[in-house]
Amino acid sequence: MFLAGAGGRLLPASVPFRWFGAAAVFHALAWLALAAGASQWADWNGGLGWPLAALHLVTLGTLVTSAIGASLQLLPVATRQPVRWPRLAALLWWLYLPGMVLLAAGMGWTRPAWMAAGAALLIAVLAVWGVLLALNLRGARGMPGVVLHGWGAVVSLLVLITTAAALVALWNGVPLAPRDGARALHGAAGVLGVMGLLVLGLSTILLPMFALAPVPEEGVQLRSGAAACAALLLMAAAAFLPAASEATLALRWAALLTAAGALALHVRAMRRLLADGMRSDLGRSGRLFHIGWASAALALVFAAIGLARAPGGDSAPWGALAVLAALGGWLLSSLFGVLQRILPFLASLHAARTAGRRPPTPSALTAEAPLRVHEVAHVAALLLLAVALVTRSPAWLLAATACGLAGALAFLGFFGVLLLRLRRVSRTHVTGP
Amino acid sequence: MFTRHVPQALDQEHRTSLALLDRLERALARGQDEELAALARPLLRQIDGEVARHFGFEEDRLFPHLVDAGDGGIAALLTQEHGDIRDLCAELQPLALALAEGALAPSQRPAFNRLALELVERMVSHIQKETMALLPLLEDLLDEPTDQALALAYAGA
Repeated sequence: MFLAGAGGRLLPASVPFRWFGAAAVFHALAWLALAAGASQWADWNGGLGWPLAALHLVTLGTLVTSAIGASLQLLPVATRQPVRWPRLAALLWWLYLPGMVLLAAGMGWTRPAWMAAGAALLIAVLAVWGVLLALNLRGARGMPGVVLHGWGAVVSLLVLITTAAALVALWNGVPLAPRDGARALHGAAGVLGVMGLLVLGLSTILLPMFALAPVPEEGVQLRSGAAACAALLLMAAAAFLPAASEATLALRWAALLTAAGALALHVRAMRRLLADGMRSDLGRSGRLFHIGWASAALALVFAAIGLARAPGGDSAPWGALAVLAALGGWLLSSLFGVLQRILPFLASLHAARTAGRRPPTPSALTAEAPLRVHEVAHVAALLLLAVALVTRSPAWLLAATACGLAGALAFLGFFGVLLLRLRRVSRTHVTGP
Repeated sequence: MFTRHVPQALDQEHRTSLALLDRLERALARGQDEELAALARPLLRQIDGEVARHFGFEEDRLFPHLVDAGDGGIAALLTQEHGDIRDLCAELQPLALALAEGALAPSQRPAFNRLALELVERMVSHIQKETMALLPLLEDLLDEPTDQALALAYAGA
């Protein structure tokens, strides 16, 4: 039912594209911030500084910003709901953008007051987004698997916002919650909760469309979603206990095994879907999805090694490698795999509104060369960053950031060409040749 | 995947079309003249028969059910795409015929390649939309007698 009524449920092009554009810019800024933090890199332990700014430019700036754009446009279509308040969606972007810049600058230049101002804006926007998501899910017809993942993401968003407020308050001298517990909850809610559940849920809509395949069985989707939510609950429970206790260790192992079960169910369903699909060769997007799944599995392996080697203690470099594999390998690869297909598709739907007969096809709006560069640079950057994490070497880190930035600029190039071609079509047909 | 006769019939035709389009896309990528010439006749049959018959049936007999059920948006979107594909086929048809008869001039070959690739992309995208939106809607909308009557009408068309 994905596209039923799609024509009537399209937001103005400027609304989703401004979110996707901001995500592409923040992605480039994330690599620049990481390069700026090269000197702090080896000693960084999660405190304020450019590494923390880079981390948030990836998570909030790239992943969540894209998720907002995608959910504003895709969820109403998928759940057969009306698009609610398109002007509000545009207004949120104007608050989110300065909020993100203030937060990253505050973290990078160690200005807790800037960070607090940025966080206040971001928390307000994320709270409204959470309400929009919840309204959409409440009225959803069908798709129980997607809805379960969606509700899990909404609850995680609430935890993410609450712990973010507590951590920012702590950095501003107001201790509202224990630091380690709040950080553990914040990380779990952000990576597996909000972004992870949205990626898992939206994949069951998007991949069948790309591959022309049947949607995975509802039972499989529900079991996979329930296992992911259970893993989150176990991680959350572990965050409230002393780091070195037996109970914490048991909860973390249980969370890892449950997350592995969720991932196995999901990947098995997705691979079967691709095998059964009428267009199973997804090209570059397909390669990025496969990299994403392999990275998600690697993240769990690295986390398990870290837990086995240093239960409750310093798990370097395994903990950092797990974060890299989860954020960069799984979530970013999946995101770029989706974006490079969905952006030209969305643009062609908008072009069809203005172009009259024979609007441009998605491939006519796509610049292939930047996407080829992006794919290679993205993978090279992740590998180099893994080497940098193991060797704690600023030189390897700078090489990784150079590759990552090249990839991010190439993706921006693809996005810019898409917008220019869409604009040209609209101008030609609205104003005449 | 589908239990009703009409969605089943349309899905089967989509699969047949996709198989041909897949072969056409590969042949164009390889640039093999003999392979392309061998595909010209099936392509013409696809344009003459399946596109005209399949699209006409959907527009005349199925889309009114969608409009009545309040899903006119998807019917309008698919009708617009039918028009785009018909326009494209009208340009491609004489070139495919010339290719089938061994009379395609070398100067016409780039135009054939460009139009054939555009047909592949538009048809695949269109079938994606029908598979994900139209066929599940029909599965829900059509009751048993209507489904049987429409299936018989389509078989005789």
